[in-house]
Amino acid sequence: MDNVKNKPDTAPKIKKETKRRIRVDFERTSFWTRFKLKYISSGFLVSSIFKIARFLLLVGIAYVILMPFFTKISSSFMSGDDFVDVTVKLIPKYPTLDTYKAIIKENGYFIALIRTTALSLTCAVMQTFVCALIAYGFAKFKFKGNALLFGLVILTMVVPHQTLQFSLFMRFRYFDLLGILNTFNIIPFTKINLLDTYWPLILISLTGLGFKNGLYVFMLRQYFKGVPDELEESAYLDGYGPVKTFLKIILPLSVPMLITVFLFSFSWQWTDNFYTRLFITGFNTQLMPDIAKVPSLPDPSIPQGMFEAAANNASAMLIIAPLIILYLFCQRFMVQGIERSGITG
Amino acid sequence: MNNTKVRMLPPGNKPAPGMPKKRRSSGASLDTRKARSGWLFLAPFLIGLFFIYAPVVIDSIKFSFATVKIIPGQTFKLIPVGFANYNEALFVNTQFIPTLTTGIKDLLFDVPAIVIFSLFMAVLLNQKMMGRAVFRAIFFIPVILCTGLIDELDVSSSKFNSYMQDTTTSIDTGSGTDTVNEIVNVADIQWMFNSMKVGTELTSYVVNIMNNIYDIINRSGVQMLIFLAGLQSVSPAIYESCDIDGATAWETFWKVTIPMVSPMILVNAIYTVIDALTSADNSVMMFISDVYRESSVVSSAMAWMYFSIVLGIIGLVAVALSAFIFYQRRD
Repeated sequence: MDNVKNKPDTAPKIKKETKRRIRVDFERTSFWTRFKLKYISSGFLVSSIFKIARFLLLVGIAYVILMPFFTKISSSFMSGDDFVDVTVKLIPKYPTLDTYKAIIKENGYFIALIRTTALSLTCAVMQTFVCALIAYGFAKFKFKGNALLFGLVILTMVVPHQTLQFSLFMRFRYFDLLGILNTFNIIPFTKINLLDTYWPLILISLTGLGFKNGLYVFMLRQYFKGVPDELEESAYLDGYGPVKTFLKIILPLSVPMLITVFLFSFSWQWTDNFYTRLFITGFNTQLMPDIAKVPSLPDPSIPQGMFEAAANNASAMLIIAPLIILYLFCQRFMVQGIERSGITG
Repeated sequence: MNNTKVRMLPPGNKPAPGMPKKRRSSGASLDTRKARSGWLFLAPFLIGLFFIYAPVVIDSIKFSFATVKIIPGQTFKLIPVGFANYNEALFVNTQFIPTLTTGIKDLLFDVPAIVIFSLFMAVLLNQKMMGRAVFRAIFFIPVILCTGLIDELDVSSSKFNSYMQDTTTSIDTGSGTDTVNEIVNVADIQWMFNSMKVGTELTSYVVNIMNNIYDIINRSGVQMLIFLAGLQSVSPAIYESCDIDGATAWETFWKVTIPMVSPMILVNAIYTVIDALTSADNSVMMFISDVYRESSVVSSAMAWMYFSIVLGIIGLVAVALSAFIFYQRRD
């Protein structure tokens, strides 16, 4: 207070212009003083060093993540001449599309693309919806055994697939309608072979047992827990039942999280080779895992090993190309959905 | 006055005009009815659990105690053999126990590395800075792209690459392992740690992590997401009050950030174990898959043994970590 009284000049001067507007004149410190205070101090030095170090670290790790993709792309374009040329390391001198052409032609890329898209889309939509249903049941309804059942959901994720590999195979190889027909001997010979169809995957998706569905249920449950109860209560008051509330209020609210789960399930189904190889073994059911084969050598002079590496990279690029496009569109929602979920233990 | 009169009427009577007709679907209270619809939402999972999952698990356990004989008609037959499969896995197959022990050792080494790394990256990515959105987008690429099939292609091509390096000048197979050798020289780290006078075990552990940094980055994507979500849910008011009280960033990290995300540490530790179980380059699982081709029942027995050991590890981790977990009381 004394300060202000002693030096009335430094206090802001208030000029009343009109009844509704006032103007305040501040005495500004000189540019040099401000500059000195802001930039020439140990605090600024430390923080800028920290910022630069952080930036470099992030760039470095981003490099580690992205570099394999660059090398994949570049080596997939290499031709026979590049393999022989010692000076060629990263960028091919004689780029060629032959590897891609061979894979597209010999491994039936486009058929596999269409089939995998259909399969992944079906499974991902089903998994997203079913997991949302289950997660909503766990998040918002209190009943006996809620915690126990949720533990079971997590347990389905913990049990490794390989443990169940054989019995899953057997179950769908000799599939009797949910085990009922066989147990009660309704019709003696009703065991259907569901292998080489999409039914095993669809059934697994519909019941929330698919690949890492426990994780989706967990994520969505945390998200729904963050939705205020008042919202549902007001919906109930307005005459909605629980199902209608879920469909009309909760689902539209959680679009970012649903997109995140969809992205996960779609891309993990896309690159999944465990279930697909287990259930779909036939030759005329081209799916993505079948793309990852080395086509025959286009030219006998090309070293076999080199060509295999290039073909592996080319097929990997072909497999992930649609996923990259999807990721570019969806990654915005991914971080958003996760951020809003406020996941806590 | 009017109100009290209405309430006193017996339930069968017509309510007073103007009052909405009361719907009584059942005698249950609102809570019970809500609980009932909860079961409705869980129905898909319950059906799956009882008709697909539980039978499959039971079958798998049964298979591990039996041999399967496929009858050419439409069925297969199980012949129980007791512990013969387990016996074969443990004592006849000479490779199973060494593979199992190294696999579990790797798992125990990987979990802390991945959890610490993902926490560190999540803290970094949570700070405000230039190009944060771009970095986030790049860091989550492995979650989407480096799974399953691609992972397997990488594994096969990196094996191939190590063979290639001995013979000729190789092209980069794009598996990421080459990139890392260019960034960090292992000898440098060894020298640094030797001069710091710490044990050789720690040195070899850190060197191992550095060598597998690509692998660790690839495997910590989901964990980063979960940590990031946990960090987002910490109220900024806490950080603000720390700032006002004069706490340094270091103190704030240990006294606020770590306790607040500690539930996430447990979740991530468990998730990392689970993820390691299902990844393509898990040596034990690869071994079990190889056995599967020869004898599926023995592989079942092996898988159950491995799983029960890992379940024990998860239990131990959960018990050990739960002592340090801080749960914020919100109510």
